[in-house]
Amino acid sequence: MDISDNKVLIANRGEIAIRIIQACRKLGVDFVCVYTAEDAHSGHVRLARELGGPSGLYRISSYHDANELMAVADAAEATAVHPGYGFFAEDYRFARRVMQRDRGIVFIGPSWRVIRELGDKINTKRLARSLGVPTVPGSDRPIYDELEAEELARSLFNFQVQQGIKNPLVLIKASAGGGGMGIEEVQDLDLFRSVYRRVRNYAARQFKDEGVLIEQRIRDFNHLEVQILGDRNARNIVHFGTRNCSIQSTGLQKRVEIAPGFDPSSLSYNFNAQKLMDDITNHSLAMARKVGYDSVGTWEWIVTRNGNPYLMEVNTRIQVENGVSAAIARVKGQSGVDLIAEQIRTGLGDPLGYTQKDISFEGVGIEYRIIAEDPANRFTPWVGRIEKFDWSGLGNEPWLQMYTHVPTDTPYDIPTEFDPNLALGIVWGKDLDEVKARGLQFLDKLRLEGVAGNGAPMKSNLEFLRNKTPDILKF
Amino acid sequence: MDEKKFHQLQERYNYMRDILAGKNNENLRLLASRMEELAGRMPGLAPAELKEALKTLEDLFNFVEKKIEAELTPMDKVRIVRSPQRVCLRDILENVYDNYTEIGSQGEHSLDPAILIARAYITRRRGKRTINQSVMVIGHEKGHGEEIRNGGSATPWGNAKALHYMKVAETENIPIHTYVFTPGAFPVEDTPGAAQQIAKNLYDMGNIRVPVLSVFSEGGSGGAEAIGLADRRLMFSHGYYSVISPEGGAAIEGNVKKGPRATPELIETCAEQLRLTAEDNLRLGYIDGIIQEPDLGARCHHYDFFRLLRQEVLRATDEIVLGVRGIVPFRNMALRSRRKKTEEGLNMDTVHVRWNLSPSAQERLVERRHRKFRRYSLSAFKDKRNSGNRFRERICDVLSELFYCIRYDLLRSHQQKISNFFGEIHSETSFFFKNQTAPVRRLIGRLFSGTKARKNDAAEKQLTTLSDWSSDQDQRGHWAYVSPKAKEDKAVICPNAATHGCLDMWAPDLYGEFAGVCTHCGHHFPMEYQWYLYNVFDRGSVREFNSDIECGNPNNYAGFDVKIEKAKAATGLKSSCITFDATLNGINLVVAMLVAPFRGGSFGAAEGEKFILASERASRKRQPFLAYVHGTAGIRIQEGVNGVIQMPRCTMAVRRYIDAGGLYLVVYDTNSYAGPVASFLGCSPYQFGIRSSNVGFAGPGVIQETTGVAPAPHYHSVYKAIARGHIQGIWDRREARFNLHQSMMTMGGRNLYYK
Repeated sequence: MDISDNKVLIANRGEIAIRIIQACRKLGVDFVCVYTAEDAHSGHVRLARELGGPSGLYRISSYHDANELMAVADAAEATAVHPGYGFFAEDYRFARRVMQRDRGIVFIGPSWRVIRELGDKINTKRLARSLGVPTVPGSDRPIYDELEAEELARSLFNFQVQQGIKNPLVLIKASAGGGGMGIEEVQDLDLFRSVYRRVRNYAARQFKDEGVLIEQRIRDFNHLEVQILGDRNARNIVHFGTRNCSIQSTGLQKRVEIAPGFDPSSLSYNFNAQKLMDDITNHSLAMARKVGYDSVGTWEWIVTRNGNPYLMEVNTRIQVENGVSAAIARVKGQSGVDLIAEQIRTGLGDPLGYTQKDISFEGVGIEYRIIAEDPANRFTPWVGRIEKFDWSGLGNEPWLQMYTHVPTDTPYDIPTEFDPNLALGIVWGKDLDEVKARGLQFLDKLRLEGVAGNGAPMKSNLEFLRNKTPDILKF
Repeated sequence: MDEKKFHQLQERYNYMRDILAGKNNENLRLLASRMEELAGRMPGLAPAELKEALKTLEDLFNFVEKKIEAELTPMDKVRIVRSPQRVCLRDILENVYDNYTEIGSQGEHSLDPAILIARAYITRRRGKRTINQSVMVIGHEKGHGEEIRNGGSATPWGNAKALHYMKVAETENIPIHTYVFTPGAFPVEDTPGAAQQIAKNLYDMGNIRVPVLSVFSEGGSGGAEAIGLADRRLMFSHGYYSVISPEGGAAIEGNVKKGPRATPELIETCAEQLRLTAEDNLRLGYIDGIIQEPDLGARCHHYDFFRLLRQEVLRATDEIVLGVRGIVPFRNMALRSRRKKTEEGLNMDTVHVRWNLSPSAQERLVERRHRKFRRYSLSAFKDKRNSGNRFRERICDVLSELFYCIRYDLLRSHQQKISNFFGEIHSETSFFFKNQTAPVRRLIGRLFSGTKARKNDAAEKQLTTLSDWSSDQDQRGHWAYVSPKAKEDKAVICPNAATHGCLDMWAPDLYGEFAGVCTHCGHHFPMEYQWYLYNVFDRGSVREFNSDIECGNPNNYAGFDVKIEKAKAATGLKSSCITFDATLNGINLVVAMLVAPFRGGSFGAAEGEKFILASERASRKRQPFLAYVHGTAGIRIQEGVNGVIQMPRCTMAVRRYIDAGGLYLVVYDTNSYAGPVASFLGCSPYQFGIRSSNVGFAGPGVIQETTGVAPAPHYHSVYKAIARGHIQGIWDRREARFNLHQSMMTMGGRNLYYK
């Protein structure tokens, strides 16, 4: 199938926009970019201007305004839209609108029904349970009745005590909530009612739905992910292995991602790590097949210290850390896998062209998120001007890939409107020891200097990343 | 002396000129020239000659007045009623009653100078005995054009005061005489609002346990109803009783919003078609009698008129009392003999009927009043139910009444007793056995400790495997009905965008999944009534009844037949009120839905009848009764008083339903104004507004015109309505189903089948 007639509207900014541009170039597909006034100096604008010509770039007032994006799509005669991550990436209404409008175009991502189904946490949990996929113990439907809620909490406490958990905790979540709002934990059944009522009232006010979910609060776990890819019509669904994303900031934002999820060949675990990774991969694939998953997506899991996996949620988008899975993957023995290109290619209707048998894995990959922030001070974002950003000291090592929208030849003012992500550094090694050594080498050679408006020197998380590197994949 | 006489004639001339408003010039010109001529030669005339000349002129005046009287048009009568020279309530108190004390007013110092309340008595003589019979007189005071009286336009608090003193009369067991002299209620939304208070008045007056007599001079729509609900309703022969002023009707008819006003001809036609005269209203049955006024209307000096009025008022009050007192055969005999004597010229001042009522007579009085209003306007709509069906329906009604009575009243109370009895026995015995068997159970527990493990397995299973959940209750954006507006590919701007920063929404999202609600600020865009029909009630449970009661054109209003047919064709409905049975989470309820697309949701005789039948059905079945108001512009003006009378009529029906122990819920959506809100909707103890909707009495245009002040922004918003205590809650459209269920579970009286 020839996809080169297409023109992709890239409805995003920064690093991901750059990678989508590059993927489009690789596939020979035309593209059009958008940017806002604050982003005028971003690398993606510069690249779009270089590669896309004068009609490859439109200025809009907000990345959040679907109407403006649709206007650009029409003006540029785009045939597809790639949402990147964030913004409209997991907005099924946007996906539906893009498809159903009078001049319908392709949404590069899962079909809107899939996004809606997996975007709803109750739905996802019930789907998982219907397939025997393990989920966090607790309710899988909104609870409206106080007595029923309390009874559930009581059995959750008993259940945890039975499991030998020292300080059992129960979470009360607004079932219609999201993004960490309307969640409270209860450590004592006597306090349950008052907390329950508080959450219920909050939910009624905020989300217009009094329903709550009651779940076990799991602590001491590793955060694993399974990378899934399906082509249009979901005829062929494959996985690209697991990742471990347990190194996070205090706000639970990921900072380091490693592929694969565990390394039983060099580390020992309390449980059969290989079997666990196989299990969660199979569970994820089963769910993907059930819903007819037709794009890239990530199944997120938490794994407790004694090796129990629980499905958390499904991210129906390309993720920041897709590159680290690609780094260890080989398709028909070839390296250089590009999941974004695969997403665009299959999204435009090209069949996958290979099966799970053709996918193999080699070595270990680490992705470092380089961010202007102060880890010592609760990861507060740092704002100012970057004056030096340079990793040329490493030469052109084939084991390193850098993705950034920050220019290396001119100073760059970090816009305050968006998250302060600066760059992704992906390091590959043939085994855990090699990749750790290369990771430290990379961090040592990387030059990142800048100055804030008040003259104070730049703060970044390089030191934090360096400190975390020796212990990766240990549990 | 003679000069004074001449001056009086001049006054009479001016009066005639005013009420004819420039018409009938011939007669007036004749009078004018004669007067001028006489004025010219008056200084030279001898007293006897002058007297003679004046006498001739007066005769001419009488002649002309008679001639004009015979040709009065309805609009002329409206002008007569509006004349500052017309009798007003104070004149009546002075001349009809023998003694009176004004309550709560001293000139301009009054809560509302447009409402006058007086305790009065009428002295009757029977032989040598004199008897003072107390009454509570309540009415509008126009004060011959005094500015403070506001033309007799009562404020909400004025109406509240009137109601208060009706209740005082009830306590004191004395009759109430109300005098209606109002062009309409003063359309302010205060605490309370105009509609809110009128609704309350109607609701309470329906069950006032003393005789109420009302006398209409100027019956302006809702304002008149506020004190006009009575056992006997009399009307001055030159008065009017109408749904709207002819000017207002003409403005609507001529579609005049801005720019030129309606022409006098159009207003004249309108006045005629509104059927607002005393004869019209007597013919239609909305008044019980006419009190004949002198030619060209009663003015202060018409003492014969006051004497007549006194006789009529006494007779009417006596008849109300006699109609409910004593035992049936004697009662009828008494009434008959009185009627006969009246024909023979019985002077009411010389007979005596006690006006206080025994409790059982009071009950009969209220029942009769309800029956009286229930019978109104029955021929003002088209009933296309065929007679066979109707007969069958009647039989069914009677049988089902019996059935529900047995099922819910008799059986249930017994059932409850039985289950209470067994419940008690069970708890007693289980307590006893628990103590006795405790050691044995402990032993068993120790022997078979495996059961505990099994129990834990069950708990674990409950916590980790799929639970049963029918997601019926969970709509979350999956609506059964999707608006046709959701089929357009366009962006919609929220009206609050400028102040709240709402992003434009895509029409299919907004009118589809969002149910017409702005996701950012919560503004509710209007939705079709079908949205509620399909999304609020259980799927497939809606069953319409009485759809064959169709609205017609009872007043033969010119051109209205065509408009009604057009509305019927455009909407597929037969009236603006759909009545149906439905279930909500399995609970049966009866619903009357007023729908805006059918002539603005205007309310007439057909709608009223359907509404009452629905309330009676709900009462019979012990089901909740929901009035869902998708929008109403008020009473349908083309039906005239046939429409207005639905205000007391339906309110009384609702009152019967509530008193029988039901649950009457009202939900307002989009815009609800005027008559219905000021009566059977506004009287509900449980009224709710859908967000962004408006509830009130008069629209902004009418307020501007009558009060001279433009209403504040959001004057009628539901938030204002809840603040002034009119409605009891504001609902998100998407939660209407949940809230209705919640209301049915928590509110309502003793007689609901599911409780």
